[in-house]
Amino acid sequence: MSLQPTIGIETHIELNTNTKMFCRCGVVDTEDPNISLCPTCLGLPGALPVPNKKAIESITLLALSTGCEITRKGMFHRKNYFYPDLPKNYQISQFDLPVGLNGELEIVIEETTDNIQIERVHMEEDTGKSTHSGSGRIESATSTALDFNRSGVPLVEIVTKPVITSSKQAVAYIEELRQLAIDLNISEGRLEKGNLRFDANISVAPEGSSELGTKVEIKNMNSLRSLERAIDYEIERQTKAVEDGVEIIQETRHWDENKELTSTMRSKEGSADYRYFSDPDLPNMYLSEDFINQVKSSMPQLPKKQREELVDTGLTLKQANILSKSDVWIKSLYFKVHKQTKDSEASFNWITGELQGQMRKSSIEKLPEWFSYEYLSEIIELIKNSKISFTSAKVILSELLNTDTTPNEVAEQKNLFQENDTDKISEMIVQILEENQDVVDRIKTGEDKLVGFLVGQVMKQSNGSVNPGMAKELLLKKIKD
Amino acid sequence: MNYFQATLRKKLSKDFDIQNIAKLASINLSEDEQKELDNDLSIILEHVKALSDLKLDTEQKEIFIHPLEKELELQEDKLVESLTHEEALSNAPESKDGKFVVPPSME
Repeated sequence: MSLQPTIGIETHIELNTNTKMFCRCGVVDTEDPNISLCPTCLGLPGALPVPNKKAIESITLLALSTGCEITRKGMFHRKNYFYPDLPKNYQISQFDLPVGLNGELEIVIEETTDNIQIERVHMEEDTGKSTHSGSGRIESATSTALDFNRSGVPLVEIVTKPVITSSKQAVAYIEELRQLAIDLNISEGRLEKGNLRFDANISVAPEGSSELGTKVEIKNMNSLRSLERAIDYEIERQTKAVEDGVEIIQETRHWDENKELTSTMRSKEGSADYRYFSDPDLPNMYLSEDFINQVKSSMPQLPKKQREELVDTGLTLKQANILSKSDVWIKSLYFKVHKQTKDSEASFNWITGELQGQMRKSSIEKLPEWFSYEYLSEIIELIKNSKISFTSAKVILSELLNTDTTPNEVAEQKNLFQENDTDKISEMIVQILEENQDVVDRIKTGEDKLVGFLVGQVMKQSNGSVNPGMAKELLLKKIKD
Repeated sequence: MNYFQATLRKKLSKDFDIQNIAKLASINLSEDEQKELDNDLSIILEHVKALSDLKLDTEQKEIFIHPLEKELELQEDKLVESLTHEEALSNAPESKDGKFVVPPSME
């Protein structure tokens, strides 16, 4: 019996608003605890929530950009549960009338695209942070300490339909969603800061079966790597259980990053256990046509469209996807360089390879002011016209990142221009062949590889100024003569 | 239990578990309290069930239930200073290193 995994992903995106979801306390990024609080986000009796307009605009933008139907008349619900990081004992969330329903997101894996169906996009608030003190293990904690700075920070939850079939797809989905949030400028999208947090619902069922297996929710995956490994682990665990005839229990499991396994956290609450009811503090939320149109008009180019434009310049889908997930300045640099050189391959390789590589190596975060995109175009042209070698081009680029100069100046100063004058090179070659008659004889008897040695001699004698390709060509020609 | 309640109680099909509800609310109930609340809740539920007997106009598209007629107002994303750190912690029964301290709680 072949088993097919089915995965659904719930992602929480922390918005980049200035203030919290239901009060005007600042959203702060600090280790100092409990410094951005008011009666509302502390859950003090009598405090009333008022939603953040920017947050509603952001979630509407996200819902629109994933092709969701927008719920014009929505409302907020209370999701009740008893836990100290939520001092009201309920979280304000949305239940049956979320902002967005039935959307989709295009993902890219290598050279193919896939659409991941999105079930819902809804608005809610974050909880405070709790730390358990004691002898290390959570079970033996002696007290819990609470910082409510994060309490009430706007969160958008995006839930996919159970349509994902592999850990690779899951990772591609999160990468795409993250880029979308960044491009829409609704979140910083930094995984290491917890701006994006994801849980996965995983089940396995016989291939072709119309019913899904019992689903298990996996929590605590805080990087793309742990998402991939946790899903792979869980699919394997469930597959083995089914094959061994062991019943899979509906539960929440915890991904242990160090042990690289999932373990039982608690049996899962049903939705009824949260006793959802409409929040009497928050009247119905009407999103007017004007409001939706206004949000629509602020929509930037979406990653999908960007990829299409990039593919139109001659890139493969995989290359286009890499660029679409790069910083804005890299994308714009590519378009400028490509416009001048009309060479998508070289533009892509120089920018995503050598340029970014050298910048990383020298810890340069931003291109220096003097660095013009035209320099890259010039370098690409110089190589194409055999004026400089690839190795020299790297030297020139490195110089340009550190000194206010131009490619031509560097090539001039460092004597990097290649000798392309065939007469001059021929003269040199004749001399080298004479000096190395033994090598020539061996090449004639079939030891072709020794040509490399002669090319080396030419490069040495010319101080690297000869185009090695040309040298090789001329050497072989002379030897055959 | 009066006659009315007794009649209602008899008609009930039980669809909740008082122990589970107590657990979700993190409260301890004695056996007597459980019995009492079990009974009270059953009666409340039965009352609520009466709603399903109402004849509703299901053709009507605008079924929208909220206690308030008023439309929700949104506020601009502008910071307003509120409690200081000291004020926020002033009513905490226990605090340490600027954090509220509560009995150990885990899910």
